[in-house]
Amino acid sequence: MESMNKLGRILMVEDDPKDVELTLTALEEYNLANEVVVTRDGEQALDYLHCRGEYKTRSGGNPAVMLLDLKLPKVDGLEVLKQIKSDGELRMIPVVVLTSSKEEKDMVASYKLGVNAYVVKPVDFHEFVNAIKELGVFWAVINEPPPGSVRK
Amino acid sequence: MVRPNLQLQFAHSPVLPYGLGGTSFAIALGLALLAERYGFRNVEVPLFLFAITLTVWYAGSGPAILAVVLSSSAFDYFFTEPRYSFYVTRSELPNYAVFVLFALLLTWFATVRRRIEADLLQARDKLEIEVKERTQQASLLNLTHDTIFVRDMSDVITYWNRGAQELYGWTAEDAIGKNSQQLLQTVFPVAIDDIRAELLRTDRWEGELKKTRADGTHVVVASRWSLRRDEQGRAVAILDTNNDITERKRREQEIESLNQELAKRSTELESTNKELEAFAYSVSHDLRAPLRHMAGYTELLQKKESSGLDQKSNHYILMMLESAKRMGNLIDDLLAFSRIGRSETQKTMVSLEQLVREALAEVRQDTEGRNIVWTIGALPDFYGDRSMVRLVLVNLISNAIKFTRTRAHAEIEIGCANGDKDTLVVFVRDNGVGFDMKYVNKLFGVFQRLHQSDEFEGTGIGLATVQRIIHRHGGKVWAEGMVDSGATFYFSAPRPEGQIWRA
Repeated sequence: MESMNKLGRILMVEDDPKDVELTLTALEEYNLANEVVVTRDGEQALDYLHCRGEYKTRSGGNPAVMLLDLKLPKVDGLEVLKQIKSDGELRMIPVVVLTSSKEEKDMVASYKLGVNAYVVKPVDFHEFVNAIKELGVFWAVINEPPPGSVRK
Repeated sequence: MVRPNLQLQFAHSPVLPYGLGGTSFAIALGLALLAERYGFRNVEVPLFLFAITLTVWYAGSGPAILAVVLSSSAFDYFFTEPRYSFYVTRSELPNYAVFVLFALLLTWFATVRRRIEADLLQARDKLEIEVKERTQQASLLNLTHDTIFVRDMSDVITYWNRGAQELYGWTAEDAIGKNSQQLLQTVFPVAIDDIRAELLRTDRWEGELKKTRADGTHVVVASRWSLRRDEQGRAVAILDTNNDITERKRREQEIESLNQELAKRSTELESTNKELEAFAYSVSHDLRAPLRHMAGYTELLQKKESSGLDQKSNHYILMMLESAKRMGNLIDDLLAFSRIGRSETQKTMVSLEQLVREALAEVRQDTEGRNIVWTIGALPDFYGDRSMVRLVLVNLISNAIKFTRTRAHAEIEIGCANGDKDTLVVFVRDNGVGFDMKYVNKLFGVFQRLHQSDEFEGTGIGLATVQRIIHRHGGKVWAEGMVDSGATFYFSAPRPEGQIWRA
């Protein structure tokens, strides 16, 4: 399929397995799940991006988009965002904050750090699926990712 | 102290002094002629001189000159050869001249003496007046309740007024002659040498001093020192004015400790607020996640098994989804409610008319397919937090829309009620289902609802939010209603400064 060839890799940072499962289910429905890498905390996400630790041997390249939860074990989402946006290699990665929190201060802090989008996970599953689908389609298919991103 | 003054009395009438001159001359002449008749010679000169002296002494120089002229004429006429003629022989001339000269000399001498005496008297009177004034001033100083005392450069007290006695308990007799710093056990805030240096440089010093009263109690005074210098510019005395500020100091300390307490409390409050914020954050994040999962998995189950489930099971699933959604709304409303308490109000002048328009636009989708007659009166400007006041209007208007749902012709009125010059009152009135006034005090409580949720949906937080916002603006909320006859919700707020009020 032509569109599949253009599918960008999605890096998902989410500690809650149920959220992971539901998000993957939503992406699967639109055939967007194949290129999803799931990391479960901030440290793991940074390891992946820097190709170190358990990701030492992965083939390089940045994801086309990163879905980032804010409340994460070890290194929290805002800290991950800060490190990415202050790193010359990683700063071009589009980052979408995907969080349960509607707190204004989180939103302000994220935008100040240079987040590309901020999405509050809707409680309603329909809305949730729609949001995930639109995010996946936009960032992994429609959007031209920066050079050096992994595409299939 | 009026001293009788002969010269002054005579001076008022010229007749008396000249009369005295004439009379004393006439008596002297009579006595001289009488003495001559009985053979006493050469008594006329002392008699005339005595008359002249008497005149000059009591009647002044003018009458004395008259006496001199009369005496010398009479001396010439009666007692120098040839007698009974004004002609003076060559041999008698020196005698006569000596007499006249002597008389004039005596007059001049007496006049000078008189003048000196008059000057002395005048100086004495002036001095007396001055002493009187000084005494009055001193007693005025004594009248004041301010504490004033004077001490010399070695701090020995030379003056001590009544105020000083009242404040320190020492009488003037006790205090005068004592060293003031020892008597009052003065405690200086800085080195006494520095104070003295400043006093000598600027002629004054001001500061707070701690002193001890006669009864041993302490007193804090605001002390002002003024330096007095003599004509050569040497420092001679210090005027010390003291005001008792013990009570003021005590209050200041009280205020300070209250402030400290307040600061402590507000720090505590701040930390409590932080905890609350953290709690609200957790609620926002952690309660919503499992809820989302419940809804998500339920929906997945529904999708997977919908064909295989009977109608009842499908209904159960629907109820689960509805409940999850309702809880989501509750959490959102509760968070919004708690945010009102936590966030700062940013007050500006806002146009209520503009806000009502915005609120109406926001609730438009709830009015679709409804027949609502809107009456919107003139509304004043409001001093408050724009987004909060907007939320108040949105809540009240959407309530009115909701509770008129059963009406074929809904009427909603928004207007300004009669407040007073300090308060403005805004109301939202509807002709909806109303409420029983019995439960009016439950209206504004959190989670308080007066209708069953299948009748009118809602979380029971809207009016609590309204109340909280209006309270934060220093206003009040209240409502009037009757079952089935509509309801009116009022809120008041302090009128912005300068707003013209028309009853």
